[in-house]
Amino acid sequence: MKKFLSLLLVLALSLSLVACAGGSTAPATEATEATEEAAATEAPAAEAATEGITIGTISPNTGSLAAYGTAVTTGVDLAISEINAAGGILGQQVTIINADDQMDPTETLNAFNSLVSQGVGLIIGSVASSCTSAITGAANEEGVVLLTPASTADSITTEDDYVFRACYADGFQGAIAAYYASQAGYTDVGVVYCAADTYSKGLYDSFKTAAAKYGVNVVAEESTASLDVQDYTNQFTAMVTAGVQFVYAPFYYDVIGPYIVTQARAAGYTGIIMGADGYDTTPEYVVEGADLTAFNNVYWTNHYDPADTDAKVQSFVQAYKAINNFTPSAIAALAYDSVYMLKQAIEAAGSADASAVRDALADTSAVYTGVTGTFSLDSVGTPAKGAAVLSFASDGSSVTTKLVDVVKELK
Amino acid sequence: MIKNRTAQGYLLNTLVIAALIVGFAILKNTFGKAGDFKLIFAPSIWQCCYLIILAASLNLTLGFLGQLSLGHCGFMAIGAYAAALLSLAAERAGIYEDKKGAAFILVLTGCILIAGILAAIVGLLVGVPALRLKGDYLAIITLGFGMIIVNIINNLPFAGQEGLALGSASSSLYKNGLGFGTTLKVTYIWVAIAVTLISLAMMFMFVRSKYGRAIRAIRDDEIAASASGINTSYYKVFTFAYSAFFAGVAGALYACANATLSTSSFAFANGGILNSTFVVVMVVLGGMGSLTGSVVAALIMFFVNYQIKNGVWVRALPVWLQNVFNFPMLVYAVILIIVIMFRPKGIFGTYELSLRNFISDIKHSRQLQLEQKQAKEEVRSNG
Repeated sequence: MKKFLSLLLVLALSLSLVACAGGSTAPATEATEATEEAAATEAPAAEAATEGITIGTISPNTGSLAAYGTAVTTGVDLAISEINAAGGILGQQVTIINADDQMDPTETLNAFNSLVSQGVGLIIGSVASSCTSAITGAANEEGVVLLTPASTADSITTEDDYVFRACYADGFQGAIAAYYASQAGYTDVGVVYCAADTYSKGLYDSFKTAAAKYGVNVVAEESTASLDVQDYTNQFTAMVTAGVQFVYAPFYYDVIGPYIVTQARAAGYTGIIMGADGYDTTPEYVVEGADLTAFNNVYWTNHYDPADTDAKVQSFVQAYKAINNFTPSAIAALAYDSVYMLKQAIEAAGSADASAVRDALADTSAVYTGVTGTFSLDSVGTPAKGAAVLSFASDGSSVTTKLVDVVKELK
Repeated sequence: MIKNRTAQGYLLNTLVIAALIVGFAILKNTFGKAGDFKLIFAPSIWQCCYLIILAASLNLTLGFLGQLSLGHCGFMAIGAYAAALLSLAAERAGIYEDKKGAAFILVLTGCILIAGILAAIVGLLVGVPALRLKGDYLAIITLGFGMIIVNIINNLPFAGQEGLALGSASSSLYKNGLGFGTTLKVTYIWVAIAVTLISLAMMFMFVRSKYGRAIRAIRDDEIAASASGINTSYYKVFTFAYSAFFAGVAGALYACANATLSTSSFAFANGGILNSTFVVVMVVLGGMGSLTGSVVAALIMFFVNYQIKNGVWVRALPVWLQNVFNFPMLVYAVILIIVIMFRPKGIFGTYELSLRNFISDIKHSRQLQLEQKQAKEEVRSNG
């Protein structure tokens, strides 16, 4: 009887698991179902003709940056459905195999190996710089084209021939913030960053280098030990003590929204908080009931502005919203652009063969026109493109984003 | 008679290991060049190897000594960074080139050993103050030490995020250091297997020695143990350092297998299955006090995680099941709850697999079950 009861409990548990998984991914489910059906109908055909192009994607679908995983998969799915509806690449339909990296370097390598063993030669991924750096060497060794949509760390593309990216590098992004501080007349600034994270530390380095160049003094530096820290009061109290009115705080949305901004204001810091593309999607992560006016005076650099009136941007935003019911983040836009970059490279190369596509991508004269700008890749595989400077604005009930400036080039 | 039985055991084990090695060699020669072996099996074996060593080494502290340590991955981080830096230094000094030949194997062995020794020294330093505490307090302090170690590594200019995690530096570990790419992982797969076998043998010998009996006595009743003349603090600190040694060795293998190091991989908790929490989970799942259990649990956790994430068969499943697999943490939770409900002692309890006694063990447990049933029936008929 007892055994039977416990068996029943386990069954109930498994059922709740299924129910919970089904419920929380309702929008995603529909999307996957749709692609699933498409894949199911295409699979036999593809096998029969051994035609069709397969592109692999690696994204953090679970783990602390799961929102980026959704952004990548939805952005890629949109681009692929558009391309397939328009007749595919070189007349061949494109299929996507997605792998989850769990925001962990080892799992990223596993995902990469699994994709390559399935015969994938073109991979879009991953998002976090720490994960992408785990597979750059392997991509080179295996001769697989790796195009990262959003890993901004400077060193990602410098060492390996097969690695490219669709976003600008940290060296540029940190410099914009320093340039802004000098333009706005702040000579003494502070930095709060995470010493343990590749992204945060990389931006800190480039900000500091650029600050020296633009005559801005970094008078206060505070660091945190991990990205999981939830209390930043001490760091911002130190900023108040140092008397700075401009603080550069390169973090991700998952701490900016709930913790950093509100805690900084509570600690008595009233000046500017400036960040980078990690601030994207922050308004969805603010805590209800918190004082949202804290988000005034927060600036950040991003890859594109969803409110841009450019026709290309607007058609992307509308198409994306029609499927997903929310505004695409910069990561989604970059993932979307990555697919079109690959498409252009494959067409230039005349085949989907990895080494031919690599040669096409390495051509620095090729011009790509995407949602995140018109650009070409430099000799190491990083785009030379501008950044949008955005700010948050809040009337106390909600946080909105507005465009401040577009920086095309730094002087 | 006893001598004879020991000899029997040795003979049997040697035969089985020889058969395994031959089988593996045949497997490697047949499939070594094929993509699947290179891309899936070899990296998986590397990962399983360090997970096995890590889980088994924590079992010494958690299962045999009975002290909960939540910072085990901190020691692994020390091993990983020590081995990586040493190999880079050796390359710069010109001891080896091209990652082959006797010199490289010597450096590799040295790196693995020194990684273990360094981790053991830190384990000693941590253990002396920490093991004065018990239960929850010890858990908290080891958790703290694990974080401190990771943070110190983060802030070292030559090892932290800038040092080895990324780009040029990680390619330098990959190009010049002991980081193995896919091809070299196949070439040096024997290193991982040999290190795992030797480590497991050393741990088995430890728990069957006088030390093992002493720490089990401490686990069962510390006051009684110390009253019988066991120097409890010496044995506790020794076991802690011994367990840290193997965590360091596991770290060295991790550095070889991943060719890039990031301290987030050694945190208390993260998205993957390699973190201090999950090692504890593996030990509990396998059975506290059974090294066999730790080995099996490490393999199970790796297999479940890998298959859910990367298995090709997953795509053939119905969509609702795939959606469940999108949340692997929930799947692990359900597995754990099922195991703990039906087998609170873990999969193996305290049972150790012994080839020699395997058949008699099974007979014995059958008999025990029968006796228990009979006893129950007797109680029923009497009552």
